[in-house]
Amino acid sequence: MIDVENVTVTFDDVTAVRDVDLRVDTGEFVTVIGPSGCGKTTLLRTIGGLQDPTNGRVLIAGRDPVASQSDANLGFVFQQHTLFPWKTALQNVTFLRKMAGKSPRPGRARELLEAVGLEGSEHLYPSELSGGMKQRVAIVRALHLDADVLLMDEPFGELDEITRDRLSVELREIWRQERKTILFVTHSVPEAVLLADRCLLFDGPPGRLVASFDIDLPRPRDERVFESPAFQRQVAAVRSALYGTRTEPASRTD
Amino acid sequence: MVGPRDDDSVEWSATRIEDVLPPIVAVVVLVGGWALFTAFASVPSFLLPSPIAVAGRLAGNPELYATNALATLERVVYGGAIGIVGGFALAVAVTFVRPLRYAVLPYIVTVRVLPKIAIAPALLIYFGTGRTTSLIFVAAIAFFPTALSTIAGLERVDRRYADLLRSVDANPIRTFYAVELRFALPDIVSGLKQSVTLAVVGAVVAEWVVVDDGLGALVLVASENLLTDVMLAALVILLVEGLALYGLVVLLERRLLWYASAESD
Repeated sequence: MIDVENVTVTFDDVTAVRDVDLRVDTGEFVTVIGPSGCGKTTLLRTIGGLQDPTNGRVLIAGRDPVASQSDANLGFVFQQHTLFPWKTALQNVTFLRKMAGKSPRPGRARELLEAVGLEGSEHLYPSELSGGMKQRVAIVRALHLDADVLLMDEPFGELDEITRDRLSVELREIWRQERKTILFVTHSVPEAVLLADRCLLFDGPPGRLVASFDIDLPRPRDERVFESPAFQRQVAAVRSALYGTRTEPASRTD
Repeated sequence: MVGPRDDDSVEWSATRIEDVLPPIVAVVVLVGGWALFTAFASVPSFLLPSPIAVAGRLAGNPELYATNALATLERVVYGGAIGIVGGFALAVAVTFVRPLRYAVLPYIVTVRVLPKIAIAPALLIYFGTGRTTSLIFVAAIAFFPTALSTIAGLERVDRRYADLLRSVDANPIRTFYAVELRFALPDIVSGLKQSVTLAVVGAVVAEWVVVDDGLGALVLVASENLLTDVMLAALVILLVEGLALYGLVVLLERRLLWYASAESD
């Protein structure tokens, strides 16, 4: 579904991403973990067609990302909710679909909002919603595009840990039910492990892929996964690769 | 170039009686003190007439004040509208057409420093006296704040929202309307406030230099003839007119920007 071939992105004389090759299969949930400023966001923007690669190319369903933009086949969720303050939750959800040139489906928008526990909050404005609720609306907004691919750039980065864990479990469930292909960028190791079928380790600058982990955890996943030894082992493995050390305690704080 | 998003207005909205009372008491004390002072001190009335004399002038010849107030109002509204619409149009044009931006923006910023009042005599030479000249003058004065604030506001648009709409290949004109313009609105309204205030200044100066009606002309003629009570009466009407126009913009602001005070992040 997503093919990244030998992509390099250079700004003036700074290389943000160097020689990245990666592939995300249809229906796969892949996370990209790496330290802040390592070029993850640039990679995601390049995949989404918001940034042109200096070298190499990106294909989404075999075509240029710009073609996917035209078909509204890409749903972005950013770290900041980017909801319009003068629109209600429901209006925010339907507005993007309208701007994408797709026929309105207000009933479906309500359904999706209900599915993430926002029934009764459809007509609230962003200023009346909590941080977690705002990100739920942003996710629903992307889902409502009926895009096959979701590109998520640290969408839970500004949330507290409890909300973040809860939303991670919810997102996994949404992914399972809606059958999306998701590429999810994060700097939280537990989040990267919990969400992923496959977790890619990114380092930089310049950003490059250094390792890939197949995450072998029960599916579907719920909060109990956090306590399982398998989860702790995976987190420890990713973390030790990340820090380049052997024995990093598998604590859940970072 | 242009300062941060704020104007110098101090927000003051009173809802409780103990908040409303002090300013009322203050104005009563002030006018009362003025009345007592003129009654007991031997000040010639051409220097300081009593408030009763001023009120008497207003009541004695309401048509005089109404006619002139209307003349000033017309000048402010028409001239101001031309300047504001022109300033807005220029701001949109320079936002879309980059070469135009580089061609005109430095000069707009430069000319902004010039006190516009100083061009009134020049306009008199080129356009002569009369209504058209006064409108040109008011428009020229109202033009700059709206133009510069709108340019600044359109610059300030959050790139992340533009990215969001680009990611679905949204129509640029609809994006401009739904995002750029909406995010620029606080700046546009702040420019509008300054434009309206300056349009009143422009109208008064025009009435001193290029036309002979309106409240500005009345103030001038009254002061030249030492009719101080007439002059003060005209100033009171001018104040009311200016407040009403400014109030309209504030109402517009409340209607359009209701979410600005509610949004915390």
